[in-house]
Amino acid sequence: MHKLLAKLRLRDRHLARLVNIGAPYLWLGLFFLLPFAIVLHISLAETALAQPPYTSLWEWVDDGILQIRLNLQNFSTVFHDELYLAAFLNSLGVALVGTVLCLLIGYPMAYAIATAPERWRVVLLMLIILPFWTSFLIRVYAWISILKPNGLLNHLLMGLGVIDAPLTLLHTQTAIYIGVVYSYLPFMILPLYANLTRLDFSLLEAAADLGCRPFKAFLKVTLPLSLPGLVAGSMLVFIPVVGEFVIPDLLGGPDNLMIGNMLWTEFFGNKDWPLAAALTLSLLGLLVAPFVLMQRLERRIEGEPS
Amino acid sequence: MANSVERRNLEPWQDPRAMPYVRIDHVTKKFNDIYAVDDVTLDIYQGEFFSLLGSSGCGKSTLLRLMAGLERPTAGRIYIDGMDVTDMPAYSRPVNMMFQSYALFPHMTVEQNVEFGLKQDRLSRQERAERVSDMLTLLQIGELRKRKPDQLSGGQRQRVALARTLAKHPKLLLLDEPLGALDKRLRESAQFELVNLQERIGITFVTVTHDQEEAMTMSTRIAVMDAGRILQVDTPTAIYEYPEYRFVADFIGLVNLFEGRVVENEGDQVVIESTVGRRLRLRDLRPHAIGAPVTVAIRPEKLSICETYQEDGVNQIKGVVEDIAYLGDVSIYRVRVSPAMLVEMTLTNVQPRTEQVLTWGQEVAMEWSPTSGVVLTE
Amino acid sequence: MNHGRWKLYTFLGLGLAFLYLPVLLLIIYSFNESRLVTVWTGFSTQWYRELMQNRQLLEAAWLSVRIAATNATFAVILGTLAANALVRHGRFRGRTGFQLLLTAPLVMPEVITGLSLLLLFVTLEDLVGWPNGRGFTTITIAHITFSMAYVAVVVRSRLSQMDRSLEEAAMDLGARPLRVYLSITLPLIAPALLAGWLLAFTLSLDDLVISSFVAGPGSTTLPMVVYSSVRMGVSPQINALASIVVLIVAVAVCIAGFSLRQRSAGANSPPRA
Repeated sequence: MHKLLAKLRLRDRHLARLVNIGAPYLWLGLFFLLPFAIVLHISLAETALAQPPYTSLWEWVDDGILQIRLNLQNFSTVFHDELYLAAFLNSLGVALVGTVLCLLIGYPMAYAIATAPERWRVVLLMLIILPFWTSFLIRVYAWISILKPNGLLNHLLMGLGVIDAPLTLLHTQTAIYIGVVYSYLPFMILPLYANLTRLDFSLLEAAADLGCRPFKAFLKVTLPLSLPGLVAGSMLVFIPVVGEFVIPDLLGGPDNLMIGNMLWTEFFGNKDWPLAAALTLSLLGLLVAPFVLMQRLERRIEGEPS
Repeated sequence: MANSVERRNLEPWQDPRAMPYVRIDHVTKKFNDIYAVDDVTLDIYQGEFFSLLGSSGCGKSTLLRLMAGLERPTAGRIYIDGMDVTDMPAYSRPVNMMFQSYALFPHMTVEQNVEFGLKQDRLSRQERAERVSDMLTLLQIGELRKRKPDQLSGGQRQRVALARTLAKHPKLLLLDEPLGALDKRLRESAQFELVNLQERIGITFVTVTHDQEEAMTMSTRIAVMDAGRILQVDTPTAIYEYPEYRFVADFIGLVNLFEGRVVENEGDQVVIESTVGRRLRLRDLRPHAIGAPVTVAIRPEKLSICETYQEDGVNQIKGVVEDIAYLGDVSIYRVRVSPAMLVEMTLTNVQPRTEQVLTWGQEVAMEWSPTSGVVLTE
Repeated sequence: MNHGRWKLYTFLGLGLAFLYLPVLLLIIYSFNESRLVTVWTGFSTQWYRELMQNRQLLEAAWLSVRIAATNATFAVILGTLAANALVRHGRFRGRTGFQLLLTAPLVMPEVITGLSLLLLFVTLEDLVGWPNGRGFTTITIAHITFSMAYVAVVVRSRLSQMDRSLEEAAMDLGARPLRVYLSITLPLIAPALLAGWLLAFTLSLDDLVISSFVAGPGSTTLPMVVYSSVRMGVSPQINALASIVVLIVAVAVCIAGFSLRQRSAGANSPPRA
């Protein structure tokens, strides 16, 4: 025992290494990676009236033969049923439009904060982060009372005489966009801000000194240099929005279904676990490309591991 | 506590029987494929104030970190006081290091910083308190004991860092650019203070510096490093007066370098035909082959104005003053002696500047004695 | 140039108004007497009183707080270990995979994480009999899985900004690696640990989708109660609840900001020579 302890002490560097790398790896492997294998497994099963509600993939037939039944029907349904296709397309569309809107609104805000006087920056940044700390659900909920037919916005507009009859705002695609921008704007601003503060603004002065007009200087100097932050922010918005559930569920209507809602319904409503699993994997497949892009970028920014 | 006079006179490195206190034996350190320290062998004796001198990236800091145990050598052994410490981790070595940034723990007071190392040695509370007091008194920072590092000035931080390393009574104190973080005025007084302190406590110091003046002022010996290797180890005087390499001559102070070939070599006299067309005669005990390419290094202050210039004169050269740098006590004159060569001459400003003998565009002849230059073969 | 500046700041102001106005309206109308959100009939605190008597909601809130605190504690431990690995162990084998696993939960749509974790729990229960039923444990495990990634980001940035020579100095003074970590590294990254803990706590308290998947019968969290009542339509009680949440967050942020400011003020005080 004593010998073992001495050996361990000699190797405490290695021990630290083992714990630091091993523990998170093990946890994530068990609770993040392994589940996907199980999802794949279940997506190839069939629904059954059982607990859990799907069939087993393998079965021992009499004389020692293992029979494996892979059911590809679920994937076939996901790829051929127009309902799912429409939901996939809608999800991608909402994510794309939402990302672009966040970018158009977030970039000037991030730029303004990054170029603001030093003592203001912390406060402004705090103001951007603060909503992130309040409940997401509550923030989406706040918009219901604003956008309702007899909600605050319609009241205001009618009171001002802009419109005569209430506009239909809630349960529309517009409401979803508002919800997405509202909820995800900080995710766009923060990486952009982080990138822009590291930018050397004397470059812009140099460009101006060399006769470049401000807007052109922005296009030729600032924008290319802030590209890493721009892509990082865009991915932080795009990827989760594709799978968004709460926003379309609370603010969207029956025509604005996104893939997250379909998945939810198949799982909780129809109890079709295999189909929900197939949907999950399809959604995951859709997100691999943007995720890889984000990872590459992060590694490039990080450069050498320190 | 060693008697400083006695120690200085001893010059243990001259004594073949003396045991080195620190022995670095063919040590190499590679980072990926780069040799930071390349096959270095070095002996340091007890009570020395030893400096590793070189430009940034020459491997001097890595060598220091190897002694501290913060890096492990790729090859070679390190001995301290006769003990092989190569495989000993930093926390067990009888060695302490003062970091360039001082690395004072920001969440601890001055007192707690100094006490930190003693706690690791599991000394009794009373003994710790005594040693902390001793150290704070030694470095005259007793009134700062309750302060946090961010409430200290640069000079105070340096004292705290010193107190913290010395509190453990190390066999060897390593100092990484000990004065680098101080401003210029403070640095000069700190140099003397550091030397006095070292003489008082008698601990062997090894410092790393890129500042040659600092190394010259403080050290018993200097090792000049370049590209991971040690070029020359010698006393400050020897390094300055008798450099063995062009790099060393060039790195320490100003120097005029004449390229040439050996044309005569009799006894202790060498005559060199330089590329600027003049003959140089120097005293050098080593034998040189006739025709061998050599470089002659002559310090600017060894030149003087020549009253008896001859067309074929030896150790004489003539040119036109191109630049004058007035430094107050001395002036440096840059004299164009050939299209490709400027010679620098330093003259003490005995007269006020307005009455100086030399001015721009003036022709001047210079000379030096055969003992005031060195012949470099590498 | 100055003109452009003002346009930029105006835009920033509008953007911030967009972020804050809805929440502000929510708070104002939580004090409305009328059940109708849009018509102001008078000041009242009755919705707060009703809220305090809503047993189902209070029980859910208590469960959520317990889950959030447990989650935050574990997430800080695991996230800090992961940050250590990334900052201190350089280029270890499997680093790319490690980083991938650590980034993915940050962006992974909640429906995916939720569904896959539920299927894992169901399968595990089938195979090894654990977890026996779903509830506190399964929700907490699910939350730790994505929270630790956030903690790792926060701690990692703090750790990589830390002066390495402080740890080296401690080691040089005789402290073994574990002691160095406990007495030097941890105190210095403590603000990041606190921030990470609070972040993990909030993320857990806020989660609806993943909890809905991995919760069992009888373990309803606060967001699940809020969600089902919101689906029924706007409810003044939820307005009151939202206001309380905002108040708590604002107070917490002010305290954190104030203590941070004091700390940095101490750091910047001029040296008294």
